[in-house]
Amino acid sequence: MGRRLVGDPVVKHDGDEYLTGRATFAGDVVLPGMTHAVLVRSTVAHARILGIDASAARAMPGVVAVLTGDEAIPLVEPVPSSVDPTPIGGHLAEIRCLAVDRVRHVGEPVAAVVAETQGDALAAALAVRVDLEPLPLVLDADEAMAADAPLLYPEWGTNRIVGGEMGSSAEEVDAAFAPADHVLEGVLRSHRGNAAPMETRTHVASWDETTGRLTMWATTQNPHPLRSTLASALRLSEAQVHVIAPKIGGSFGLKMFGNREDFIVPVLARLVGRPVRWHEERAAALLPGAREQVQRWRAAFAADGRLLALDVHARSDHGAVSAGHGWGMGLVGAQTTGTGYALEVCRVAWDVVATNKAPWGGTKPYGKDGATLLAEHVMDRIAETTGVDPAEVRRRNFLQPDAFPHLHTTGLELDSGDYEGTLDLALGRAGYPELQAERERARAEGRRLGIGLGFELTPESADVPGALVSGFDTATVRMSPSGQAIVLTGVTSPGTGNDTAIVQLVAAELGIALADVEIVQGDSDRCPYGFGNISSRSIVTGGSAAVLAARDIAAKLRTVAGAMLHAEEGEEIVLGGGMAEIAGDGDRHVPIAVVAGAVFSLGYILALDIEPNLESTRTFRPPNIRHTPDHRGNLQVYTTYPFSMHVSLVEVDDETGVVTTLRHVIAHDCGTVVNPAFVDGQVRGGAVMGIGSALGEEFAYDDRGVPRSVGFKTYLLARASDVPPIELERQVTPSPSTLIGAKGAGEAGFGGAQAAVMNAVNDALRDLGARLDATPASAPNVLAAILDARR
Amino acid sequence: MIPTRFAYEAPGGAEEAVAILDAAAEPRVLAGGTWVVPELGSGASRPDVVVDLRRAGLGTIAAGEGTVMVGATATYADLIGSALVRERLPLLHEMAGGITGGWAIRGQGTIGGSLIAARPQSDVPAVLVALGAVAHVAGADGGRALPVPDLLTGPMQTGLARGELLTALELPVQIGTHGYVKLKRGASSWPIATAAAVAVDGVLTRLVLGGVAGTPVELEPEDATMAEIHDPWDDELAPAAYRVAVAGPLAARARRKAIGG
Repeated sequence: MGRRLVGDPVVKHDGDEYLTGRATFAGDVVLPGMTHAVLVRSTVAHARILGIDASAARAMPGVVAVLTGDEAIPLVEPVPSSVDPTPIGGHLAEIRCLAVDRVRHVGEPVAAVVAETQGDALAAALAVRVDLEPLPLVLDADEAMAADAPLLYPEWGTNRIVGGEMGSSAEEVDAAFAPADHVLEGVLRSHRGNAAPMETRTHVASWDETTGRLTMWATTQNPHPLRSTLASALRLSEAQVHVIAPKIGGSFGLKMFGNREDFIVPVLARLVGRPVRWHEERAAALLPGAREQVQRWRAAFAADGRLLALDVHARSDHGAVSAGHGWGMGLVGAQTTGTGYALEVCRVAWDVVATNKAPWGGTKPYGKDGATLLAEHVMDRIAETTGVDPAEVRRRNFLQPDAFPHLHTTGLELDSGDYEGTLDLALGRAGYPELQAERERARAEGRRLGIGLGFELTPESADVPGALVSGFDTATVRMSPSGQAIVLTGVTSPGTGNDTAIVQLVAAELGIALADVEIVQGDSDRCPYGFGNISSRSIVTGGSAAVLAARDIAAKLRTVAGAMLHAEEGEEIVLGGGMAEIAGDGDRHVPIAVVAGAVFSLGYILALDIEPNLESTRTFRPPNIRHTPDHRGNLQVYTTYPFSMHVSLVEVDDETGVVTTLRHVIAHDCGTVVNPAFVDGQVRGGAVMGIGSALGEEFAYDDRGVPRSVGFKTYLLARASDVPPIELERQVTPSPSTLIGAKGAGEAGFGGAQAAVMNAVNDALRDLGARLDATPASAPNVLAAILDARR
Repeated sequence: MIPTRFAYEAPGGAEEAVAILDAAAEPRVLAGGTWVVPELGSGASRPDVVVDLRRAGLGTIAAGEGTVMVGATATYADLIGSALVRERLPLLHEMAGGITGGWAIRGQGTIGGSLIAARPQSDVPAVLVALGAVAHVAGADGGRALPVPDLLTGPMQTGLARGELLTALELPVQIGTHGYVKLKRGASSWPIATAAAVAVDGVLTRLVLGGVAGTPVELEPEDATMAEIHDPWDDELAPAAYRVAVAGPLAARARRKAIGG
């Protein structure tokens, strides 16, 4: 009876709070005496800082303090790197919370103004004079790797942040290419994007002189790691730092610890001796980039469409260096190359290059977008060359369900999967033959339709050795004498509802009602040390840990209930519906609340066989992460591998290049699903993000490195009328490595949707001899491709 | 949040507004505010006085002799809801109904504010040119009336002198049929290019392109296939080459809508 809760699309347990405006986001926090901080940001892409004159600003009404980068040096250590690239041969740069000596991108913070009101702070920030001497700049990754390129970090002697090679050897590649029926090569470019969460960041920091404690309400995904890094940088003990992540309005990786503003705000609070609030303007929130790559590829394949070998060089345009983990997207994209195809020979050379754009910020789906785009582009090129239907090409290439666990040349160990199953589901739902017929009919009428497939595989729940990014997590479950329970998790929620799903899991294990389980996330004082939400891990790790802890308590309840019910040898106690009862004998039951009360008040009579507490703290550590190198020297750092198949139908107006998406079908498999409503929401949201990216959601720079995208009129998010209803099918292939078989859905949708739409556009343009080898398929790009083909 | 300080005036009529504008150093006129308020907020615009026209009585729509007088601060929603506009200026009515931003923007943005903003990425200027609109302007030295093309001297530029204020647009009642097409890069996008065609008895009388150059481009009605665009417009959402490439197809589509076939 308890199991029924898992798999139910229950509504958010705290949904009423959101709907009635009682949910507290960081921006809602108001403290007595609170001041407001505004950051002064560089307007030049690359320059030496000659001086900062804050005298006019300091004299303006309401101004409490102005802090420059130089002045901040004695107050705080450099921002600790959240994932250090030096162990794999990469470079680190010292990142101060406010720039010192040089600025390397437009928008880099150089000073902070603190004032009584937001308006006062904004006005004073305009009055801070920053004297900059421009330096030569570079805005393209290939150009940045040229011998004569301006260097962002001269001490490195290069603009390459990190890179490497993985997979098959050059000899293996040559041996696979030589006899192949076909060899194709190409260059695939993807554009810079941002996840654009609805909520930009707000931090409120308060330093209490009497207790010597820093309290920070932070829009962060990882309160504990943030606490650790804040304590280290501010030279405090962790006990002196309290981080609270309130409700979050979407993160997608952008609120991962390691941001400069995480450190600026507490420094200001300590400096002025009053609480400081910083709210991020949208133009600044759009700065962190992702997804911009050049992938030079060669593919060898057979006449029947089987891909024999892939040889790839993937170069990422990272922008300036940060203390965050954006660079890791280049590595993970390389590891994911080939996705779910049975590819025996795969070699990837990858590098992540610094340019004078704002730094990359880890963004959903964390580099897997590039691997997906490439694999799906290659599949369609194979179809075009061999004449085999694109769906059939994929079918012939997929790893089969009995191939798992499958060790990829890049080190990923794929856990379980039925990729062909999602192909069948998606094609069935889409009505693939009917779509093809519709495409032909439309062509006869002068309308240009295109059908595109996109398969995505997203490794999830990473553990990075040496970083506070770990594959395990911890939860505490406590039951009180009333029989009500509270769960405290190390994982957090960016608004996805994993908190409600964990409540479902715990209520199911304890046999009590959902309403009797409370959950606390995001409080570094109350919750056990955990790693927050990233990499789709919250249910996989945090949910599993909560289940383990709940099972400990359930076992104790069953023991005590057994004593209360005079259970005989072999008689089992079942918990469900708030009752403990003898299995198969409904007359012999006792309310769980009474059992719980008995533990605490009748402990010497009824609870002699247990330690009389109803509290457990457990950690779930997935078994399939391997930090010892395999025969190719690779580590296996991912726990789960969810996947999905997308089918897109588009219409292209060949006179204007405008693309209209007509249908979008997804067959999605993330293993066991705790709450299908939340998972479906994740998949749809990710798909819309991917469709939007394909259609033209693009962060653009001018040739001086000044962003042209400053808000939602110049960074075009897809609106509801731009996307068709997302048609969803579900398949469940459980993970063999997670306690409940879940694989995580946090990064679902983007890669497959973007690839499917790009492939659909290219399908529509094929008979014109036009093809896009770059995203996005914006109207200007599509029309340019058409006109180029005509010339 | 607006980071700069300014004086705020809400004059009760055109004369009072003109007096304030004439006396101010760097005034900014506020109608619906859909452009002005964001520019104030970003600090791009730092006026010494903001002159709010909401009480100035400039929002009425009235019938004239073979014309319709549309007040400068009439909102798109006012145009949509006006029987006069629907019946006698159907092209204007259609344009108003398709304004990007939905009902929230349509209830705020004004026809006069949009015309004076004179942005290429906008529906209003080209449609007013296609309809043969005349701009009525009040000033310290009295008023004047001029055809809209004479008012639009360049992108984001008008021929308004210091102290002058647009009070109304006078539009001849539409005769015949029309066709209007607007090209955008998705629902969020501002207009990339527009084409407005007017025809009488199946013969094209006017064909005006918006968004492809700094100011509306009037094509020879017979030359509906292609025309030379001088100084094509370039912005964050589309390069000049794109606008040049779509001008012909859009003009043809507007023409087809006006005269069929």
